[in-house]
Amino acid sequence: MNDDTKVLEREQLDLAETLRRSDVDLRLPAVVPREPFPIEPLTVDARQQTHAVGQRATRLDGRLHGLGQTKYIDDLSFPGMLYARIKRAGIASARIKRIDTSAAEAIPGVMAVLTGSEIPVNSFGPTFQDQPVLADPIVRHAGDGVAAVAAVTEQIANEALEKIVVEYEPLPAVLDPVAAMREDSPKVHAPNSNIYASKVVRKGDIEKGFAESDRIFEARFSTQMIEHVSLEPHAAIADWDANGRLTIWATIGRITLARADMARTLKLPMSRIRIIGTIVGGNFGGKNEISQEPALALLSKKTGRPVKGVFTRNEEFTSTTTRHPIIMDYKTGVTKEGRILARQIRLVLDGGAYCSWSATTLGKACILSPGPYKIDNLVAEAFVVYTNKTMTGAMRGFGAPQVCFAYESQMDDIAKALGKDPLEIRLLNAFDEGSPSPTGQVLHSVVIKESLRKAADRFGWEPRS
Amino acid sequence: MIDVTIVVNGETRRASVPPETTLLKLLRENFALTGAKLGCDVGDCGACTVIVDGMAVNSCLMLAGQVNGRNVTTIEGLATRDRLHPIQKAFEDTGALQCGFCGPGAIMATKALFDENSDPNVKDIRDALSGSLCRCTGYTKMIEAVQEAARVLRSESRNSSHTRELKVTAP
Amino acid sequence: MKAFGYVAAKDVGHAVALLGEYGARAKLLAGGTDLLVELKFAAHGPEIIIDISRVDELKDISISDEGLRIGALVTHTEIIRSPIIGNLFPALADAAHSIGAAQTRNLGTLGGNLITCVPSMDSGPTLMALDAQVTSASRSGLSQVPLADLFVAPRKTSLQSDELLTGIIIPKANFAKPAAFQKFGLRKGQALALVNAAAAFWIDQDKDSFVQPRIALGAVAPTVIRAPRAEAFLEGKAITDEVMAEAGRIAATEAKPISDFRASADYRRDLVAVLTKRALQSAYARASNKVRESVP
Repeated sequence: MNDDTKVLEREQLDLAETLRRSDVDLRLPAVVPREPFPIEPLTVDARQQTHAVGQRATRLDGRLHGLGQTKYIDDLSFPGMLYARIKRAGIASARIKRIDTSAAEAIPGVMAVLTGSEIPVNSFGPTFQDQPVLADPIVRHAGDGVAAVAAVTEQIANEALEKIVVEYEPLPAVLDPVAAMREDSPKVHAPNSNIYASKVVRKGDIEKGFAESDRIFEARFSTQMIEHVSLEPHAAIADWDANGRLTIWATIGRITLARADMARTLKLPMSRIRIIGTIVGGNFGGKNEISQEPALALLSKKTGRPVKGVFTRNEEFTSTTTRHPIIMDYKTGVTKEGRILARQIRLVLDGGAYCSWSATTLGKACILSPGPYKIDNLVAEAFVVYTNKTMTGAMRGFGAPQVCFAYESQMDDIAKALGKDPLEIRLLNAFDEGSPSPTGQVLHSVVIKESLRKAADRFGWEPRS
Repeated sequence: MIDVTIVVNGETRRASVPPETTLLKLLRENFALTGAKLGCDVGDCGACTVIVDGMAVNSCLMLAGQVNGRNVTTIEGLATRDRLHPIQKAFEDTGALQCGFCGPGAIMATKALFDENSDPNVKDIRDALSGSLCRCTGYTKMIEAVQEAARVLRSESRNSSHTRELKVTAP
Repeated sequence: MKAFGYVAAKDVGHAVALLGEYGARAKLLAGGTDLLVELKFAAHGPEIIIDISRVDELKDISISDEGLRIGALVTHTEIIRSPIIGNLFPALADAAHSIGAAQTRNLGTLGGNLITCVPSMDSGPTLMALDAQVTSASRSGLSQVPLADLFVAPRKTSLQSDELLTGIIIPKANFAKPAAFQKFGLRKGQALALVNAAAAFWIDQDKDSFVQPRIALGAVAPTVIRAPRAEAFLEGKAITDEVMAEAGRIAATEAKPISDFRASADYRRDLVAVLTKRALQSAYARASNKVRESVP
């Protein structure tokens, strides 16, 4: 070798070394070296400062987020990957008479089509397994999936959806939850009643409480259906390996639950299912159960290729869970000073077409419905009711925001009617340390009154009467 | 198919794509620049924001053919090998990035703001961020981050002889 | 999106020729902020997209003997930043600033906003209150009509299939006519107008009264409309809050709003009364400030 070549080699080595060194600066650790943490268990008293609570910390994944390097599901792609789309019913209540997928299958680039009859166990759900992966044969809301396709591009998959012919026999639909409670209402999950869960909290003697009250206030409050609108839509990728094991990359927040649901719907042992919960672009409760994953898994099995499905923003509204609209009837008896003696509540939760997390939401809403106030005589009755609308499920607050709107609005109404300061009336009624919750749990670390006073001080609340 | 040539983050890139390909799809699928995100595909959420010839735009609303011959800057073009861009550092430090999905879009919208106005007031900042929806942070931290980044950039340009090194180190 | 062909027009002549060739089989791409959304939800796509976004002839803001000309491809951001417009018609900049968000304003064009022709368009009312004309080009030649003639129905303009909107002209006689734009949406950014309104009038300095008042309303009829009875009421009247409020009430009776999921017709009528009054007040305040500025 002549000298020129040797120099070239050396230069290349130097260049490689320089790149390697500067690259190290930019290559950010996926796993951050942590300080050793003390192993001894710490038993702390309430409100005691620890070395974790109250400390400022930088969010570790913020680095990659800011760089745009975080890989959300739609940023992942695999060789040979196909794109899935799901055909939505577009009708609130119907029986599917016929599905003809032949025209869709004939489109070049469409690799597989799937309908509900091909799902081994076509039902899932975190509480009751009342939701089909793909409706078959009953459609219970307009966002119900009736067929799925996998194609080499999203454009072809969309085209395929249009070519799938579905013949529906429209069935009566019920859209109002209060109407749905009636015996003669159309049944969303016939023959069962539309009321699919209920809860009652009782305490004291409600009639006596009202009898002793100076004033009684009655009102109906209602809240609307709200969608999480996580910036990242629901997305998942399914792939099988040569050993018959399924891997799902999903935005799901409860992957062990998801794995159980996948095992059940696909009739597959859990040991053959691996779910990778990826970094998620917002969940807020809406991504805590499976939705399209069994369909993707079966499409992947049929085609022998990885299959990715990403919901459109429209589907986020029609076909993913939402916050329960609740119709809340409050009857509150107070003394003339504004102290609550009795409260009677009826909640009707619009439970959508499928249960999802409604039973849990029902429980929370019911228990929290009286508000953080000392009430000796209480009846809170709550029902969750099927309607032919988008599923309602978990959303940040889980029933608490809706009832909070109701009881706080009524507090203001009571304060106004009695000529009292809205802050004073709350201080009069709010929990103290050791107060029992509506279900008898003794509450500690109760700081409502201190918080209210501090807040009032901070934003300069002037007493009003 | 149409042929497009675009300068992306200073590098000339070429692609042959169907005419209906949006700039967003071009960046994510043809150029593997997945920083810009698909949040709504109709120009409402701003997660797809990139800078074309100095303007912040929704890349989901541009066709590949429209950007032929133009300059595009994406989130991947902000940091250099030696350091984070001050906007990225400020967003990270302030806690303006939670799930992070809106981050690249909001950061690029901020970059475009600074290219026009190095001393934006809160109204200017709100205006610049009005096209970037965020469901996690409530925007307060984002506004703080933008103010902090503006401070840093202004002081850097004042003391350009001894630039403050924002060395990228493990958090 | 479904597949379509694509061709980039080099200049107005080329664009017109292409429109002539393809007619209704083509759609024009200017800023794309309306078109691309439409295409993504369309049952049937156009055969071809004619990209006019690079036709520089349509990007000018210039003053001639006829008046102020704003080319059809001028973006909302450019309108906001134009010193000429800021000086002569700040209300136009206000209207442009109320559209969408920064990203969509950087792409969206005045022509596109006019052509999409939705009743709630934000660019329409101020232009109508300033007696704007629209210019267009087709194979038959050039044409110029009052803006009101352009708007036929929601999403329907008077343009023929081979006709290209080239710009708007605000007559010289209206230069620096005090004007203001008001919009009410459900939020401050990226908001559709529930109602929008623009007002313009000269002031008789001696009598402090309205001269040649114009009121234009949006989102309360199938197209942007004038409020002629309110205008007639104002002509010659003293400029007072009571008179302006009354004009608002009259304008509300001339509006024909619908009830939809965003607002009821009654609410929209209320908004017309309030926004008309505010537009008149705002235009007057603008004029007074200018007078005060010019008085030594």
